[in-house]
Amino acid sequence: MISFDPTISSAMPVSGMGGMDKANAKTTGSAGSSGFGDAIKAVENQVSKVDDLQQSSDVSIQDLLTGKNEDLNSVVSAVAKADMSFKLLVGVRNKLIEAYTQTMNMQV
Amino acid sequence: MEINSLNPIDISLSGLQAQSKNIEIISSNVANAQSTNNGNGQPYRRIEAEMTTNTENMDGVNLDNIIEDMSEFPTIFKPGHPSADERGYVKVPNVTLPTEMMNLNIAARAYQANTAVLKRYQQMVETTLELLR
Repeated sequence: MISFDPTISSAMPVSGMGGMDKANAKTTGSAGSSGFGDAIKAVENQVSKVDDLQQSSDVSIQDLLTGKNEDLNSVVSAVAKADMSFKLLVGVRNKLIEAYTQTMNMQV
Repeated sequence: MEINSLNPIDISLSGLQAQSKNIEIISSNVANAQSTNNGNGQPYRRIEAEMTTNTENMDGVNLDNIIEDMSEFPTIFKPGHPSADERGYVKVPNVTLPTEMMNLNIAARAYQANTAVLKRYQQMVETTLELLR
């Protein structure tokens, strides 16, 4: 029911759970880069999207407090959006860092 | 159809905004329940919200049209009132307070329902994100 498609997997070059599409196979095949680096890049993209949402929520709060905008509902929704996307970002970041530390602590 | 994880927020928001507007309309009706002159010698005419939707894009509810209630004005006997006719009757607004109170209850409940959807959706997303941990 909840699909984070438009936000995450469009930005994510690594194929998550489904099959790999053509573009995906090309990037991983030609560059031969690690999936981890790609994931980090995807998170960078996600950070800027989350930042956009945060800034729009900041602007709407400012507008409300300065009296430019009087619609409380839109402010609340902007904040809710920013909150949700930030939680997603933090979740993904924590998971990535966990994966990284687990890999680094691996006995060779 | 593409499912955006932020869409339910926008849809509930449209519901919240529509119900706020609806409550604004009801408050106008209640406040003007005794207004016998709207500047043109006519009493205040009751207004009502018309909510429309676009089912194809699923983009929530729109409240663009405000329609006037064209029912007849009741008259009360009030000789000496500046708006009274020669027989002493004054046309009063076609607002009935009990109806407005019922509409107010409906609007407030609908607003509450939209916030409930919004809240539950946030909880759902948080539950999904728990899976990452």
